[in-house]
Amino acid sequence: MNKITHNSLTLKPECDGRTVFFSKKAAFTVMRIFLLALFLAAALLPLYWIIVTSLKGGREIYTYPIRYWPKSLTFENYAYLFKISNFKVYFRNSVLVSLLASLGALLISMLSGYALSRFRAKRTRISFLLAMYFTQIIPTYMIMTPLYTFLAKLGLSDNLLTLMVIYTGMMVAFSTIMGSSFFALVPVSVEEAALIDGCNRIQALFQIVVPLVLPGLAAIFSFSFVNTWNELFLAVMLMNSDQNMTVPVALNSFISKAGVSWGVLSAGIVVSLLPTLIVFAVAQKYIVIGLTEGAVKG
Amino acid sequence: MRDKNTGFLIALMLPAFLLLGLVIFFPIIKGSIIAFQNYNLNNDLSMVHFNGLENFKAIVTDTNFKFWQIIVNTLIWIYVSLFFQFVLGLILALLLRQPFRGRGIYSGLVFYPWALSGFAIGLIWAWMFNGQFGIVNDLLMKLHLIHQNIGFLSDPKYAMMSVIIANIWYGVPFFAIMLLAGLQSIPKELFEVAEIDGANSVKKLFFVTLPYIKATIVSTILLRTIWIMNFPEIIYAMTGGGPGNATNILATQMINKLMKFYDYGQGSAVGVMIMVILFFFATVYLKVSEAKEEGIA
Repeated sequence: MNKITHNSLTLKPECDGRTVFFSKKAAFTVMRIFLLALFLAAALLPLYWIIVTSLKGGREIYTYPIRYWPKSLTFENYAYLFKISNFKVYFRNSVLVSLLASLGALLISMLSGYALSRFRAKRTRISFLLAMYFTQIIPTYMIMTPLYTFLAKLGLSDNLLTLMVIYTGMMVAFSTIMGSSFFALVPVSVEEAALIDGCNRIQALFQIVVPLVLPGLAAIFSFSFVNTWNELFLAVMLMNSDQNMTVPVALNSFISKAGVSWGVLSAGIVVSLLPTLIVFAVAQKYIVIGLTEGAVKG
Repeated sequence: MRDKNTGFLIALMLPAFLLLGLVIFFPIIKGSIIAFQNYNLNNDLSMVHFNGLENFKAIVTDTNFKFWQIIVNTLIWIYVSLFFQFVLGLILALLLRQPFRGRGIYSGLVFYPWALSGFAIGLIWAWMFNGQFGIVNDLLMKLHLIHQNIGFLSDPKYAMMSVIIANIWYGVPFFAIMLLAGLQSIPKELFEVAEIDGANSVKKLFFVTLPYIKATIVSTILLRTIWIMNFPEIIYAMTGGGPGNATNILATQMINKLMKFYDYGQGSAVGVMIMVILFFFATVYLKVSEAKEEGIA
């Protein structure tokens, strides 16, 4: 019996080999698709769940068993969110502060990043770079109280412009490091040619070099925007008055506020995620380039 | 000529350094001084004076928030998160290495958590882990893995695991992005040679792929160590460091000292401790990247 089976198997070796090869490859493909699906499900489930919660009516959120798809979709949580709080104002504040801070950091880092990439002495370059890296490893909340006490004395805390300047400062070092690695890709000969053509150095920088690194600048901008939009603790400490709150500060205040349900909070979370999700969707390619070009903060 | 060039470049760096001085360097110095003062908003601030190492002593001997537990929590928080972020990130990167139709959209959909705030992620996962209406409890019940709801965030046995799961979820995309970039830099010829030598997929992974991206792996892990240590948002939103002291790490201890107890002196003392530890890591990181540049690592 055993012998016959053995013989029948060895009769068509190439056929047998092909079957094994095919099934192994098929198993790999199935496994790969399964794992990809698993990662996708794990990534999307929390987002799905918070969106579904935000679209459920007040009572349906707290029903048992849990409903994975609401019986009736409603926007009442969103309406309530904008009614009970100045969420429109918080949103505007966040947009304003994040946009201006990111633009400010971008502009400053065009100068400093370019300069950092052009120092001929390696020593000079390394020491400036180290100073920049240093600011990246210190915890944000270490600068929080000194800034607050200092600014409160000057009457400058609880001020959107102040927050914007601080955010710009927090983004400058990273933007400079990232910027210098992009500027380093542009050969010096490109500017030298421009200088011979009669440009001064600033003109050469902005008219010749900057247009060559636009994707890198997009990465820097998107990165700063996401980080400033998401910043919580510094804003909580500095922004006390209602009309100056940013979105994360408002969400933080909801937690302790009585009468704010998970429905309203979910709606607030979903609205708070939209801008960074849009930026990520649009600039994903550039962000990935930026992250992998020697970035420090993730 | 050369001096003129250097002078011009330094002038270009001035705005950046002025701002950094104002927003980062000056506050760091001031914060380090506060760490040695009895700076507490509950007390009369005109009585603020230097008190030597009192703040550090108070933190280390605190009976409500035991210091040794905070240190152990910090290490668990960092290394358990890192381990799973790395392993899952590597698997995801390997899955994404070969092109397939819709890969761009797919990676957007799995990488998006990178763009979210730690605070929002903490809130979302707090809701998912809710002891009564949480989706995690419901799914585990449906799979018959548990028979009654678990208070994931209120039970000290489960709280650390829960915040770490949220952190892993957040960190996998970053690792996948970095490792994928590393994988794509491997020359195809290396795999062809390995195949001729008869290596199978597992052997190729351990003898070609991983050694080639070793430098990327080491530097990413070191950078993430620093970053995760500095990252209290998820814990702050989910448990606030509780129940009791169960999920308290150095960073949340500092946040609580500053924002709950208004004890700026003790809070800054924790900050100084964190900075000292991070300098150690940064030095190791620099040594490693130097080695990387010289092609040793």
